[in-house]
Amino acid sequence: MFSKLKITLYTLVAGATMAALTAYAAQVSAPAQTAAPATAPAAVKSTSTADHSKFKELQKTFNSAPEVTKACLICHTEAAKQVQKTKHWTWEFTNPDTQQKLGKKHIINNFCTATKSNEKFCSACHVGYGWENDKFDFKAEQNVDCVVCHESTGTYRKIPGLSGHPTYKDMEFPAHSGKIVKAPNLSKVAQSVGKTSRANCGACHFYGGGGDAVKHGDLDSTLKDPLKYLDVHMDKKGLNFSCGTCHMTTGHEVPGSRYAPTVTPGSQELVAPHMRGKVDNSNPASCQSCHGNKPHPATMAKLNEHTDKIACQTCHIPEFARGQATKMSWDWSTAGQLTPEGKPITKKDSGGHNSYDSKKGDFTWEDHVIPEYIWFNGKVNYTLRETKLDPSQVIKINSFEGSPTDGKSMIWPVKVFRGKQPFDTVSNTLLVPHTFGKDDSAYWSNFDWEKSLAAGMKAANAPYSGKHGFVETEMSWPITHMVAPKGDALTCAQCHDANTGGRLKNVKGIYMPGRGDNNKWLDMIGWSVALLTLIGVLIHGAGRIYTHRKG
Amino acid sequence: MLKIIGGFVAGVFLVGVLTYAFASKLMFWEIESPFGVEETAARIQQNIMKVGNGWSLSGLRNPGKAVEMDGGNTLPVLMVEACSTKYSAPILKDDTVRFLSILMPCKVSIYKKNDGKTYVAGMNAGLVGMLFGPLVGEVMGHVAEDQAKFVIFDASQPAPALIKGTPGAAGGAAAGGGGGC
Repeated sequence: MFSKLKITLYTLVAGATMAALTAYAAQVSAPAQTAAPATAPAAVKSTSTADHSKFKELQKTFNSAPEVTKACLICHTEAAKQVQKTKHWTWEFTNPDTQQKLGKKHIINNFCTATKSNEKFCSACHVGYGWENDKFDFKAEQNVDCVVCHESTGTYRKIPGLSGHPTYKDMEFPAHSGKIVKAPNLSKVAQSVGKTSRANCGACHFYGGGGDAVKHGDLDSTLKDPLKYLDVHMDKKGLNFSCGTCHMTTGHEVPGSRYAPTVTPGSQELVAPHMRGKVDNSNPASCQSCHGNKPHPATMAKLNEHTDKIACQTCHIPEFARGQATKMSWDWSTAGQLTPEGKPITKKDSGGHNSYDSKKGDFTWEDHVIPEYIWFNGKVNYTLRETKLDPSQVIKINSFEGSPTDGKSMIWPVKVFRGKQPFDTVSNTLLVPHTFGKDDSAYWSNFDWEKSLAAGMKAANAPYSGKHGFVETEMSWPITHMVAPKGDALTCAQCHDANTGGRLKNVKGIYMPGRGDNNKWLDMIGWSVALLTLIGVLIHGAGRIYTHRKG
Repeated sequence: MLKIIGGFVAGVFLVGVLTYAFASKLMFWEIESPFGVEETAARIQQNIMKVGNGWSLSGLRNPGKAVEMDGGNTLPVLMVEACSTKYSAPILKDDTVRFLSILMPCKVSIYKKNDGKTYVAGMNAGLVGMLFGPLVGEVMGHVAEDQAKFVIFDASQPAPALIKGTPGAAGGAAAGGGGGC
């Protein structure tokens, strides 16, 4: 009987304890539950009115990707026509200011250099299928790749070397790596389509220049699911912006171009920034189109006085490549070193990044890169294949125009990518190497510059003297992604720093208080006047006291 | 008499001012590295393993990661931790100075500043050791000699790989005895 009472008492005590603990736990977790809606990813739940998995046109087996496109075009009759007008398709852009023909089809950069003769490889990032030489049909609508921008399975991947197609059977990529890329189920891919996500855009833009984080510095795969520190707008637990939130696309035309960047959106009094909801032709992919011209509160009014000359990015992207290291230099002149057995070599740096590849030469990488700062008015001049160059100088692949006095420029942060690349030592022009292919002239197969350059220039229908050297080059990339939380923006002292000259020490043509720009003679005269005034006051005061005491 | 007291007070004041002005610079050293943060840390790790005297790596910390998880940013910082049982043992065995275990393991910090350059910093073990009597002074003197060798960089050598993780004996009583303190 006693033991039964004891058991009953223990049970009651245990029950009461459990109840108390449960109540406490509920209290503790309550704030997290109420906070959840504010931090939940906004774009997780689809609001689309169409579920493509229910479409009969997509419920079949597709043997090739162009077949998927044909199915898409049954309903989206104008989509391919729209895409075919864009740079994503043409890889061409004529700069209205300079009339230079730009785009991947024409420019030679200092990364993989040029697409000509390498189309089969490079077109892994073309929004189409089948581009492997000059005979590509730019008018065939079934050649447009719809799913690369719209699929959401994450299984669809265009492999370099397949002329823009995905692999249709499991394949090892890169060759001899042991890594197998699975052929996507095109039916599932087609049924998964929806709004373009960060992963869709990133499939090319995060991997530009031949790999993850190579080219831009402010675009890499860490932006696929970024945290707040990396990008305050894309923060997957916060605002969760997709690329399209800023690059607000109309008729497949994506605003925001590197070839003709918008650098002073609304900074001049007469030109208001593009504001969302307003119908005009200006670029919606600018900070000002949401934040306006004077984004800082009245308590920080001084900052608003900077906005006509300082791009938002200058203060709010204090460093780029904050998620992982970006490639900072590429020296093609050292490519081609082989083992005694004739095998290519790769080396890694301390952080595990490729620092040498026989196919490409030497590289350097850096993370948390402090940008270089320049005056920029939006005009960019390119050194093109036919441009004569002075090989004794560092050649600017693209020159950003700007000055403090033109009334159009702002101070912008840029990544400056430095390299050495082949040029014709007789005609003093940049050369197009033929790198990819199984033919005898492809550099990545035979490591023979002469054959490679001759083949590349022939494909470009351009003359080549047969003599090559390597010239130092620079290419600049405006930094505009990876916006840091406001608490991490540059502070006043990081620019107005007399000891080091601050972040803007190389920005010339202006007087900046506290940067050490002051004229020593002027300072000396000023201080002398102040000192003499003080002495005068003291003498005057002493005289007054003296005469007062004298009565 | 007044002059003596006045002189004494002035002396104390002067010492106080000098200590305030220079102590922080004397207690720690900072040098510029010709390499990036990761390569500098990797080269220091190699130097530590080569220097002998019982030194081994205790760990590699990246305090910036915690700031990132909290939604903020810092310029890169890596802390290479190392320890030598030859030097730690005498201090750990002596009750009067065992509290100095808070200085273990020995740390070398590698970081980037706003000028884009990489710097290396550490504690001036020799000077700090002198504050705690002859035993600690002697031990820390040897530590300081070895620390100077940690930061001798030979640019002719290829960049070694950064050793990540904690190779030593971190992790409590059950951890291995391969290194660290």
